[in-house]
Amino acid sequence: MLSDNEFLRYSRHLLLEDVGEAGQLRLKNAAVLIVGLGGLGSPAAQYLAAAGVGTLWLADHDLVDVSNLQRQTLYDIGSLQHSKAETAREKLLQLNPEIEMIAINQRLDADTLGDFVAEVDLVLDCTDNMATRQAINAACYAWGKPLIIGAAIRFEGQLLALDPAAGHGCYRCLYGPDISERLNCSNSGVIGPVVGTIGLLQALEAIKWLTGTGTVPLGQLKLFDAKAHSWQTLRVPKDPGCPVCGEKNASHSQ
Amino acid sequence: MQVTVNEESLQLTPGTSLQGMLAQLQQDKPGVAVALNQQVVARSQWSQITLNGGDQITLFHAIAGG
Repeated sequence: MLSDNEFLRYSRHLLLEDVGEAGQLRLKNAAVLIVGLGGLGSPAAQYLAAAGVGTLWLADHDLVDVSNLQRQTLYDIGSLQHSKAETAREKLLQLNPEIEMIAINQRLDADTLGDFVAEVDLVLDCTDNMATRQAINAACYAWGKPLIIGAAIRFEGQLLALDPAAGHGCYRCLYGPDISERLNCSNSGVIGPVVGTIGLLQALEAIKWLTGTGTVPLGQLKLFDAKAHSWQTLRVPKDPGCPVCGEKNASHSQ
Repeated sequence: MQVTVNEESLQLTPGTSLQGMLAQLQQDKPGVAVALNQQVVARSQWSQITLNGGDQITLFHAIAGG
């Protein structure tokens, strides 16, 4: 049941035939893990908190640095040198005190991700390095949890939604371990609205998935070229030899 | 035969593999990913795929920033 406050707060959702009270209750009953609270995770967390996702797990080990403020919209000068996870939780509680938020002030890795992935309905990969991205992909496939991946540098963005229950390839099929992380925001730069756009789309696809609205582009890599303002869609097929999602590991999915 | 690479035309000797084309363009390096006719091709398959005239190849980079 929604409270009177919730009917007012979410009235613009309730007007939508595709969401309505049933969809809002699905959001309220959902738990989402957001790994990384930088340029992608800031807008993603803000929009999911505003939308009324009932439980948000907010993970980042880092402290807010002045160079983050160019694009990481959760923070301000009062946040400098404070924990991103704790600060994000405080800011988002100001936005929406109706939801529950858990700050995870630690770097999640292959050993620790499973405990958190197991708790949620969906995961957003908003991180800034390839090793963590591979670990998140593996944990989501091990636990059978849908994953929405965003990435951005310079004037380029990438978006990929994965459902371990579907037949498409996974992040490991797209980028093998031989593809090293050469490009990140620290060494290549990024324009704020590009990383924000991708983070927003992660939130949008999460809301679509959780409410069962429309079509989430599963297994389709979306490439955004902001300079040309153009999008490309590339299908990601399953690599039969993939150690994460390949046939020999099918029994790991739950 | 003619293929397109990121929307630009490229002339190749018939029978050229995807790996061969990437080597010719000096793009067979870490961080490069490839799609053939809008489908991503895993690096392990590059040498096994023979290109055909009219193929559309997309080169892009793995990015990890966030």
